[in-house]
Amino acid sequence: MSNRTNQAPGSLLRRWSGAHPLSLGGFVLVVAGMVVLPLVVTNPFYQNLWTRILIFGLLAMSLDVLLGFTGLLSFMHNSYLGLAAYAAGLFTINVNPESLWLAMLVGVVFTMIIAWPVGWLQVRTGGLAFALLTMAFGMMYYTVAWKWHDVTGGDDGLVAAIEHGLPKVAEEGMVPYLDINLGPWNLGNTSDPVHVYYLVLFIVVVAFILTHRMVNSPLGAVLEAIRENEERASFVGINVRRFKLIGWLVACGLAGLAGTLWMFLERNIAPDTMHAFEGAEVLMMVLLGGMGSLWGPFLGAGIFILLKDCLSSATEHWEIYVGLVVIFLVLFLPKGVAGLSSMLRRKPSENK
Amino acid sequence: MASVIQIILNGLVLGGVFLIVAIGLNIIYGLNRVMNLAHGSLYALGAYFGYTLVTGKVLLFGLDFEFGGLNFFLALILAPALVGLVGWVLERVLIEPMRDRPMIYTLILTYGLMFLIDGLIKANWGDTPHYIIPPEFLQKPVYIGDFSYPAYRFALLVGVAVVMGLLMTLLNRTRMGINMRAAADIPEMVSALGVNLKAVRVGAFVLGCVMAGIAGFLVGPLYPILPIMGHDMLISSFVVIVIGGLGSLRGVIVAALLVGFVQALAEAVITNFAMVIVYMLMAVILVFKPYGILGEGKFE
Amino acid sequence: MKKYLVLALTVVLALSLAMPMAALAKKPVKIGVLVPLTGIVAQGGQEMVMGIKMAAAVKKTILGRPIQLVVEDTRVKPAVAVSKAKKLVYKDGVVALIGVFSSGVGLALAKNMDQLKVPFLSTHVMTTKFYGLNPLVFRCGQLANDQTAVGNVQGILATPDLKKRKYYVLVHDYSWGHDAAQRFIKLAKANGITVVNPDFDRAPIKTTDWSTYLTKIKASGADGIYIALITNVIPHFAKQATDFGLMKTCRLVSGAAPGPLELEEGGSATYGIFGASDYAWDLQRFNPKAKKWNAAFWKMFKTIPSDAAAHSYVGAMNLFNAIEKAGSTDAKKVAAALRGISFDGPYGVVRISAKDNCMRNAAVLTETMAAPANPYGAKVYMKVIKIFPAKVLGPPE
Repeated sequence: MSNRTNQAPGSLLRRWSGAHPLSLGGFVLVVAGMVVLPLVVTNPFYQNLWTRILIFGLLAMSLDVLLGFTGLLSFMHNSYLGLAAYAAGLFTINVNPESLWLAMLVGVVFTMIIAWPVGWLQVRTGGLAFALLTMAFGMMYYTVAWKWHDVTGGDDGLVAAIEHGLPKVAEEGMVPYLDINLGPWNLGNTSDPVHVYYLVLFIVVVAFILTHRMVNSPLGAVLEAIRENEERASFVGINVRRFKLIGWLVACGLAGLAGTLWMFLERNIAPDTMHAFEGAEVLMMVLLGGMGSLWGPFLGAGIFILLKDCLSSATEHWEIYVGLVVIFLVLFLPKGVAGLSSMLRRKPSENK
Repeated sequence: MASVIQIILNGLVLGGVFLIVAIGLNIIYGLNRVMNLAHGSLYALGAYFGYTLVTGKVLLFGLDFEFGGLNFFLALILAPALVGLVGWVLERVLIEPMRDRPMIYTLILTYGLMFLIDGLIKANWGDTPHYIIPPEFLQKPVYIGDFSYPAYRFALLVGVAVVMGLLMTLLNRTRMGINMRAAADIPEMVSALGVNLKAVRVGAFVLGCVMAGIAGFLVGPLYPILPIMGHDMLISSFVVIVIGGLGSLRGVIVAALLVGFVQALAEAVITNFAMVIVYMLMAVILVFKPYGILGEGKFE
Repeated sequence: MKKYLVLALTVVLALSLAMPMAALAKKPVKIGVLVPLTGIVAQGGQEMVMGIKMAAAVKKTILGRPIQLVVEDTRVKPAVAVSKAKKLVYKDGVVALIGVFSSGVGLALAKNMDQLKVPFLSTHVMTTKFYGLNPLVFRCGQLANDQTAVGNVQGILATPDLKKRKYYVLVHDYSWGHDAAQRFIKLAKANGITVVNPDFDRAPIKTTDWSTYLTKIKASGADGIYIALITNVIPHFAKQATDFGLMKTCRLVSGAAPGPLELEEGGSATYGIFGASDYAWDLQRFNPKAKKWNAAFWKMFKTIPSDAAAHSYVGAMNLFNAIEKAGSTDAKKVAAALRGISFDGPYGVVRISAKDNCMRNAAVLTETMAAPANPYGAKVYMKVIKIFPAKVLGPPE
């Protein structure tokens, strides 16, 4: 731990990013490729698909912060995506149908407000109990979203709530399209899949860089120390509970961010997105992609969403093939897809 | 008064089914440290095997044939045994190689397995719901004065009691069972004493699968047999073992009955919010008893 | 039914994907079919696909081009359905969407039609919210909640045994169920039919054990039960009600038609379900077209003709004819052609109203009972006891 915090100063760039120059180059290349992508493939279906993958990648990455770096398991991390989506959606249709950034802020802040006391409670328990409590609370959010029919629209999702005449400002009967404003400039509108794609890409890249920065900062080192050995960490004077709570809040905040983006893409949210099985799928994205790498979960999300989409279009019996692929990957890629690359070259974090 | 008795019986039936499924899940967890998400699918498999044996219509991905059909009670023994066989194969092929990996990986592995089994069930048996036809004398309601209750539900309660009796005898009176219980507590000691730990773990996995199969068969005459029938049962039994305590057999018994009663009572009293109460109960219990009512909080 | 090797299917699929579609002489007219093929209503989804496939087989070509159906599984999840709809429209280039089970999925899809810009004809969405919802959104299939409520209330009033009963209302907990309950209770009150619980019970869709609901119904003193449960679940509910001895004292009136294969599985325990619906194969006693359709359906699929298949068939026929009538696959032209179009099918003339984009058709009141000898091998059937003309069911135009 102390090694990491007292790292010898490298190049300015490396110090800022905390990354190996090679992986930094790779990152820039990937982002550049993704910026060009919608210009090459103009079919809105694919733009939509990539947006979805990015959003779920962000959600999976947020779980990776918790699981891979803090060593805590959240069974139903998707419920925090759901909470933020409901909050942002309800805010847009009831209070302010114009500002995208405000809706995003409300979604994330609301998620954090819910996550705080829950996290406070959860970090007071051990590893397994923490995981089980995330499940219990996740199920509760799910049932509330499903049963609070007047506000959430129940099983049918937010569109049904709008149909019940709850909102004051929704005119077109759905969460409205929003302008993407930056100060005085109007950069686009969420009715255009390309604009949504760029919005999501921008947010995801910023979130990725900040998270990457965070896990390579002293804070990240503390979290990792807690993951490796909680007792020893507390002996050197680390307030374990406090840092666990910080890790939890970061993870929930990022999940909330993904949730608000989901709302701009889908303009609807239903409780099934918050179901326990969807939570298991987020966990799967993290593990298939590679835990503890931050970028692995994006890969995992991509693989899993593409797999499910393609197979379920190709055959009615897609479940068989999805099952087989998942089993195969778990058995033969123990460290996920990200683990493959570390077999080829050493990870930057080991490159002292 | 009649409806109070009925609600108690309803709670017992619900709790009894939860108990058989959840105790299997917990036995597997206790000895293998595997949270088997395919458990619900094995439960469904038990029901489908039962349906196949009782009707005698065997579907095998196109290689179909028919035979006369078996006696209900004979099928009740055979169908879970077949599920146990499937469980044995799964343990050998999938769970064994994963023994040294963290638990979350087996969690995901069994999640994939759930997809696979559900998909195979759907491909073989289709989406049409089925029922297992119970013997004639269990098909009519039982009348006691003006009080009536379905005979099969009484039979199910008896079945649950018998199964639990057999299970307890197995665990307390046989060599295998005693080894299992000991291995769940202190595996190092047991293996130092020369017990084949591997065999004990395989045995526990198969036993857990057999329990899922029994439960699936027992509900066959009550609930529609569908490819997805295991999904909600998986979640319910997960809630039960979390409340009861992971790895704790006594905890599961208490929790299964508790969840069964709470669900039955909540459905009767505040019908529209019944499930909220069940999950609320789970959260409240976990806040005060993080490892469940009788759990010890072991985790790898 | 599906007696094929899954492996073989994959090979065939892989081959069919590999073979370029351009090899066909004429570009097919692609129609997107959105149905649930996994989940609790998968059986209903299969029947919908059968009806639509049969329509395509009968119609053969539109505008001189072959019809190609692209079937996608919605899993009854709104988000999945919307993403599948986008795939169908943007990637496959379908000219119209048809199908959809569940009002929640239907509403979510309907709200996306302004963006997707193709006509969407729902065959299974029963919510009254669909009336005049969007110029591109149509309903032609299962009766809407208000129509079913009218049919059921009329049926209750016309049957002395049903008229004097006190009804307990139990529905599935989602917008269709709520809507159905509200429609029925309002109409029942206006017609002097007693409802025991005006704030009706809402059961989760996943409910498999109805015992506590049945206990409640018993205790309430009701001797009639009005249910709005999804088609596949109705026979299960009836079976458990019979197990509890409830069907001896109570009559069951249903807001949707029970699935025929589920009725077969439930056997004699499912006798005595009343309900208004579009179709029952027993209609062949009154309508020669029904007889012909039943025979053709049996020949094609070797399974009992169902309500879901019949109205999906009619819906698909109306859609195909509308494209033909429009003379092009342009969304606006097809939508204009759909308004006011009608098709004389197995249950008479089914017309899509030009006023609110939803269909008007005659319906039947049925009761389930032991079936007479029939070519489909059915042991339980929905006996037609009354036929409602389209005018009676409304709504007025």
